[in-house]
Amino acid sequence: MPREAELSNIERTFILEALAQNIRLDGRARDDFRNLDVSFGDDYGACAVQLGKTKVNTRISAEVTKPFEERKFDGIFTITTELSPLASPAFETGRQTEQEVIVSRILEKAIRRSNAIDTESLCIIAGAKCWSIRADVHVLDYDGGLVDASCISIIAALQHFRRPDVSIDGENVTIYSLAEREPVPLSLMHHPICITFSFYHGGETVLLDATLHEEQARDGEMIVTMNRHGELCQIAKLGGVSVDALILLGCMNMTVTKVKDITELISTKLREDATHRDVGGLIAELSAQNDR
Amino acid sequence: MPLDTASTYGQTLLRTDGRRWNELRRISASISTQPSTDGSSQFVMGNTVVVCNIVGPREGRGQRDTNNALIETEVTVAPFAQTDRRRRTKGDKRVQELQTTISSAFQAHLFTHLYPRSSITISLHVLSLDGALLASCLNAASLALVDAGVPMPSILAAVTSGVITSTDGITPSDPILDLNNSEELELPFLSVGTVSGLSEHQEDKVSVLIMESRIQIGQNGKKLEAMLAVGVDGCKQVRTIMGEVVRTHGTRILRGRK
Repeated sequence: MPREAELSNIERTFILEALAQNIRLDGRARDDFRNLDVSFGDDYGACAVQLGKTKVNTRISAEVTKPFEERKFDGIFTITTELSPLASPAFETGRQTEQEVIVSRILEKAIRRSNAIDTESLCIIAGAKCWSIRADVHVLDYDGGLVDASCISIIAALQHFRRPDVSIDGENVTIYSLAEREPVPLSLMHHPICITFSFYHGGETVLLDATLHEEQARDGEMIVTMNRHGELCQIAKLGGVSVDALILLGCMNMTVTKVKDITELISTKLREDATHRDVGGLIAELSAQNDR
Repeated sequence: MPLDTASTYGQTLLRTDGRRWNELRRISASISTQPSTDGSSQFVMGNTVVVCNIVGPREGRGQRDTNNALIETEVTVAPFAQTDRRRRTKGDKRVQELQTTISSAFQAHLFTHLYPRSSITISLHVLSLDGALLASCLNAASLALVDAGVPMPSILAAVTSGVITSTDGITPSDPILDLNNSEELELPFLSVGTVSGLSEHQEDKVSVLIMESRIQIGQNGKKLEAMLAVGVDGCKQVRTIMGEVVRTHGTRILRGRK
């Protein structure tokens, strides 16, 4: 079983002592994110996020299936995360590691359980046909901040994605190809964003967006998910060092502003992509969708 | 008659099971319940029953960390634990997350450096489940670790706390302590686990904090602040009860020695 090379004692002490003097290895402030870049592919629903050296690619796909027996009026939404050896030699295909389980579980709670997608809108014929939306997250390069980067890329990709339009005539469902009809965007209720806090020096020092080395040297972490309306979607402090409750509340308040910044960045990038696509200015005419 | 806390609370200020907002369910616990293991406990909180066995500290097999003991956790939820019978598989991500949380909470809390190259296995069996799954597992494991004689700076105690959001805007949004299963289904809640501060006048520190429901944190996070405060305070109450259990057990053993 391959494992991540552990931090040597000297590296660990160096990171911790520098942090005690308020210095990070890459010169950022404690509450700074690394350079975040969001870009979209040619197809709808393909999104690449680069957070420092961490690279995550997400692809959304849609197909028509039969809904679950107990949820006849709901479509299906699944998120699959795979940490392949492509990202880091410490990852292995096949068996799920503990880290992989935690990442997918947190994304699941943050995006799926918080009802980011209105699954009822994915229903075509109750109990017979519905859309199954699938988000495939591929980690291409790993340098810490996996949950944050994956969450941003899923949310950006979901906003970017367009599914084919359908029309229903009794029992017959017609699915129009992208050439026949302008595809429709998914209906998203809100845009949750995950922020990871790392704790050092027995919970006294709090860092945002730790790199891999900083992650290896930390005593504990907390992942907070929020949307830009200030709604908390999920908190996960799964053990680790114990931290003063007031520091934790401070983290929650810090999340509010960070989430607003990131959401703003995603929507700017989406707008840029939309103008880039809208060559003849025809999209607005082709689309049957009304602005909310 | 409404049968959920959210609608009754506004009128009566009582929850469906008759408790007030800051009342815990009845807690009864005992340690050294299983003589064949190194440490064991049974923890009952309302209708939730958890049994815990500890094996270790013993020599760790293939253990790579040469400075600390490694904590491993196994959680099994009995198929008959809830009203609908269902079998949870080993690969259930929820259970795996639970195990990771418990291991990592105790890994940071216990004095593991005293047992280099060894491992401590916590095995938890949930016999009956009526809410507060993680909290009761943490409490049971804490007591069993005390029984096993693993040194720790304080007892790790956990509870759940939730919030009732007023719908009419007249009654205040009240935080509530220690939710049962039906309340967990209808209300947003936090699972909080704390350890006491290093000195007498230091505040308790939060070791585990998990929330899975979506809530509006309110103005300046007031709602969340209230939930967390009630949770931390509830942990203090639970810790006192757990301390009492350990002391009673100790006195009984001392008396038996004479």
